[in-house]
Parts: sequence; structure tokens; C-alpha cells
Amino acid sequence: MRDGQQDLRKREFRRFVRWSAGAHVAVLGVVMISPGFHSRFDASQVIAVDLVSLPASALAPSAAPPPPPSAKPVPPAEEKPAPPEPPKPKEVVLPKNPEREPQKPKPEAKPKEVAPKPEKDLDDLLADMRKDAGETAPAPKPVEQAAVPAPSAAAGAGTVKVSPEVLAWMRKAKLKVRSAWVVPPGFRRETLETHVTVELDASGALVGDPKITQRSGNPWYDESVVRGITKASPLPPPPSAGEWDFVFLPEDASL
Amino acid sequence: MGLRVPAGGRITLRSLAAALLALLAVGAAARAQDRAPIVIEGGKGKTYRIAVQRFADRSTPQSDERITRFREALQNALEFSGLFQRIPEGAFLGPLTTESLDDGAQIACPDWTQIGADALLQGEIARDAQGFRVAFRVWDTARCRDLMRRRYMQNATANPEDVARRVADDVVEAFLGVKGVSSTEIAFVSDRSGNKEIYVMEADGSNVRKATANRSINNFPNWSPDGQAIAYTSYRQGNRPLIFLSSRGKLRPGRLLQSDGRSQYRAVFDPVGERLAVVLSNGSSSEIVSVDTDGKDVRRITQSQSIEVSPSWSPDGKRIAFVSDRTGAPQIYIMSAGGGDERRLTFDGAYNTNPAWSPDGLWIAYETRVEGQFDIWLIDPDGKVNVPLVTNERSDEAPSWAPNSRHIVFSSTRRGRADLYMIDRDGSNLRRLTGDAGNNTAPAWGPFPP
Repeated sequence: MRDGQQDLRKREFRRFVRWSAGAHVAVLGVVMISPGFHSRFDASQVIAVDLVSLPASALAPSAAPPPPPSAKPVPPAEEKPAPPEPPKPKEVVLPKNPEREPQKPKPEAKPKEVAPKPEKDLDDLLADMRKDAGETAPAPKPVEQAAVPAPSAAAGAGTVKVSPEVLAWMRKAKLKVRSAWVVPPGFRRETLETHVTVELDASGALVGDPKITQRSGNPWYDESVVRGITKASPLPPPPSAGEWDFVFLPEDASL
Repeated sequence: MGLRVPAGGRITLRSLAAALLALLAVGAAARAQDRAPIVIEGGKGKTYRIAVQRFADRSTPQSDERITRFREALQNALEFSGLFQRIPEGAFLGPLTTESLDDGAQIACPDWTQIGADALLQGEIARDAQGFRVAFRVWDTARCRDLMRRRYMQNATANPEDVARRVADDVVEAFLGVKGVSSTEIAFVSDRSGNKEIYVMEADGSNVRKATANRSINNFPNWSPDGQAIAYTSYRQGNRPLIFLSSRGKLRPGRLLQSDGRSQYRAVFDPVGERLAVVLSNGSSSEIVSVDTDGKDVRRITQSQSIEVSPSWSPDGKRIAFVSDRTGAPQIYIMSAGGGDERRLTFDGAYNTNPAWSPDGLWIAYETRVEGQFDIWLIDPDGKVNVPLVTNERSDEAPSWAPNSRHIVFSSTRRGRADLYMIDRDGSNLRRLTGDAGNNTAPAWGPFPP
């Protein structure tokens, strides 16, 4: 009795599976031959992606009090009210060792939080994304991508349409400039951001001097930036001659 | 801007809608694309490649050996900065020896950029009875312009290495805005002779010499701001530590201040060299006082029953960072230099000590205990930013700032014995400075030479 019921259920189940499989094939077939499926990658279409609008703190850490381990040092910007004093006088025995300063009683130290390894750099992640997009997108089909992260609120957010050619050029230009630029030691953990506009001719050579459109506040850092982008000339031939903007950020040193 | 019509020219409702959307998108994008910047992030561990010409010798008689020694020392000092890497002269396309430093003299920049030089250093030296004169010119080869031209006179007995270090420190300034520190000295404590004595060496670890030889226990050297004296703690007179001065200038060497029966643990010069903060201990508590350089005019700065030690002056001399165990464990506090107006600075970690205020005022380096060992962290004087600088499973202790605020020297047991290391403020360029003998501790980085 029970076996019979189970057989029945198995048969019903198999029938259901067969029916279901057939239905899937049919639907897939309809989708395949429909124009919409092919036109998804149609050359005339454009995928709009919002230009990533990062909070300024994501790329250029602000002076706001961040959690200690991941915080990036910035020169103090403003006065902070003194934290409340928890005075709790206590008798302490001077240590015997005269070589040590007498400030070392023996409370068991609570292990301090160890600074976590810095997350993969946002710009690198975006660069990877762009790389993937650039390599998978068929050449003649324009794809819109998050071109570059906006490094500050000033750069703003918006929808940017960048063809794979432009994207590929930006990537090459970025590599060349990055390898030419020497970030002076000691600046790597500071909050510095310099914006530079350069005029390129069709061959990629700099025309005239780079123009600093936003200073970092540290003239020596700005100098290193101008030196770096000048050294990078000629850049790969750009998609169009004219002005191109660069933003220079010091690396977040991983400790 | 015209509407783009899809191939075939048939305008359908769908294509119209698509075109309208595209128009909106393009309209919004054109402006943004103009501004969409390429973001460059700096790479790690890169240095400027510098071509250093042989300086022209304007002395009589000329000395090839002097020029060679000078150039070698110059290139070593440039590389010590962590900012430069020399280009071997075999690669030079341009002239090996400086031809002219005249204002109008130009260089063939492509000769230098082609060999990968970011910078070219030219110069001449002349040594005669009047002195040791040096003149130099630094070029940014990519932009083909000179960044710095200087000439100065050292006394005639100056050796080529010392003069070369001065030049190298100036060349660093041409690129960084702050001088290099190859011409500075570091005082420290070593037991290499069997006793803990004070030693002094060049910042790169060379030329180690003894500053004390009293065969007792000496500790905590601290430089006067003019670099002419070192205050230190010593057991040289009995079983109680007292403060002494070792001097090569105006200050009187010997005991700094009379003993009032208390131990004198550490003396630290203020930024102008007029007073010293001194730690006095009666065995159950310790306080910080200030005294003048004759050991007179003693003023109490801290007033508490706890242990208060490790004073470090702010560069403007108005505040002092120090350590107090008033909450039961050592933490770092800041007070005004005359006492009072105290506030606690460190709240993370149960054991924080040995604060060192950077000469530019931006940071306080300190030790924090993690699992029984010390790491070195940086905190800003407002306590807003607190970051690790040196972490290691062994102890890293006693940070002291280079006068340009770009490097820190510290003592570490990472190789077993205690040795001195230096590291850049951003955590790069770790280098060991000692290692020949003994335990080397309590480093104090001296000021720029006058």
C-alpha cells in the first residue's frame, strides 16, 4: 500500500520534471529567437552607470576622528575639547630596576587591537572592474562604465559615458604617469590631493606646463606631481588632443 | 547637436524614445566627461634617480682623491635620505665632471633623461687656506630647470665627508622642502664595553664614539637644541641616579643640579635650551620639575602623588607631554609647560609610555604594550588620529624624532639583542643603524648642525 503510493508519487514527480524541462527549453527557445535577446548588446545601446560618487573620506581621509587602527594621520585641523579626566590616585611601588623609569607598574596589558590590513584600495578595485569591462566588451560596442572614481565632492557625481577606447587609453595613461611619479617618502600617509590639467597633442606629448587646478596644501607634494606628469610625457596617444585632468593621491602605506 | 537616427532611417516610437534617452545621457555626460579625472595613486618604494657629477676641483693643488671621497660620501648621504638612488657613472651620456656652474650654463637635459635621471647634481669645491668652499646646482631634468643653487664656506679643516653630507641634506631640501639628516648625530646607550655608557654616532650609524667612560650606569641621553651638550642620567656618583651634562660648548659639564635626596631620572631640554624638565623620584612617587641650565630655579610642574615621568616638550615650548599612572596604569597626558591644564591623550591600550613630540609638532610617537612587548604608535596632539608605526612580535621602544620630523630612531629587540633602527614617518624605509656589539638603547636624535 505504502509502496504503491510511493511509486505513484515518483511517477508524478518524473512527469513533472519532464514537463518542467520541456517548458524551460521552450521558453529559452522563444527568448533566443526574439530580437530583444540579441539586441541586448546592440551597438546602438548604451549601458548607463553612475559615476561612483565617493565620500571625500573614502579616498582622502578627513580629520574627523576615525577608529584608531584604520585611521590615516592627518595634521590636526581643529581644537578638540579635552577628554574628561578620570583621576584615580593610587599608590604605586617604584620598580626595583633603576635602569627603567619608574613608570612601569605591572597591570596586565590588554592586547591592543591590531590594525587590520588595509582594505584593497578602492581605486584599484575600480581599476580591476574597468579592466574586466574593457576586456570582455566587444571592441566596436561602446560600453558605458564608471570611468573613474570621483576623488572628492568637487569632482562630483554624474553619468559618464566612456568608450572602451577612452577607457583603455585612460588605463594606459594612468600606468605611465603612475610609474613616472615618485611620491616623496613621508608623504604617503598624509591627506594630500592635487588636481592637474594637462594639454596633450595628438601624439600624447604635453603641450606647455601642467596646470595645477587644485593644490594639496603641500607645495613640495604639488611639485612632485608636476615633476611626475612632466616626466611621463609623452603619454600614449589620446583619443583626442586637448585637456585631460589628473588627480594625484599619495598611497595609503600598509603597515 | 542632432538626433542620431538608427540605421535604416525608420523612426519608430522605440527608437525615438531611445534617442531621447541617449540625448539626455549625452547631455549630462559631455560636461562630466570633461572633468572626469584620471586618478593616480603613488607607488611604494620609488626614489628619484640622481646623476651626481664629479665636482670640479678649483683648489691648488688639485686632489683627485678628495674629489672621489667627496663624491662617494655625497652619493651615500643622498641614498641615506631614502629619497634618491644614484646612477652609476658608467651610464652617463653627459659629462662626468661639472664643466660650469655659471648662471647661464645650460645642460643637455635629454642626455640625462635618457639614462633615467630625474635629477642632476653639479658642483665644484675649492680648498685652500681660507676654507673649504663648495658650490652646487641641482637640476630637475624632466622639466629641465634648476631647483637649487647654493654655495657656502666650511672651515679649512672640514673633511670632505662632512661637507658632502651638508650638500646632500640641502639637495633633499630641494625636493622635499625639509633638509635631510645625514649630517646629524644620534646619541644612545650601549653596553658594548661591559658598562652602560653614552655613545654618539653619525645618523647613518657610522663613526661611533664614546661620550661617557665612567664605568657606571648611564642612561637617557638628551641633546641641547644647539647640539653642544648632552644631558644624561648616571650612577657615577654613588647608588642614586643623578643628572649630568656632557658638553662641547658653553654649558658647564658635570652635575646639573644638587641632590635633594631624591633620584633624578631623566632630563630633557626645552626647545630653546634655556630650561630642562627633570624627573625626580622619592621611591613611591615621582614628579616633573623644570630647572635652568645651571641647575638653579627649580620649579614644580606636576603636583600629584602618582608616578609622573617621561616629559617631552612641544616644539613651541608651551606644552609638555608626559606619562602618569594616576588612573592605575601608565597613560600619556599633555599639560602646559608651567604645569596645570592637564588632559589625558591616550585611551587605547592599557600601557602607554615614552612620548616623543615631533619637531614639527604634528605627532607624538609613543610606546604601547601589546602582549608584553612594546610597539610604537603615532598620535596627534589632539588625540584624533592614532596609528601604528612599528609593530613586531619583539619590543620596539624609545622613539626619538629626527630634526626634520621625517624619520624616527628607536630601539628594538627583533634580532635578539637590542639595536637601533630608523624608520620613516609613513612606516617605510626601515633600516638598522647598529649591530656590531652589545645592546643599544635609548636613542636621542640630535639637532641639525649649526
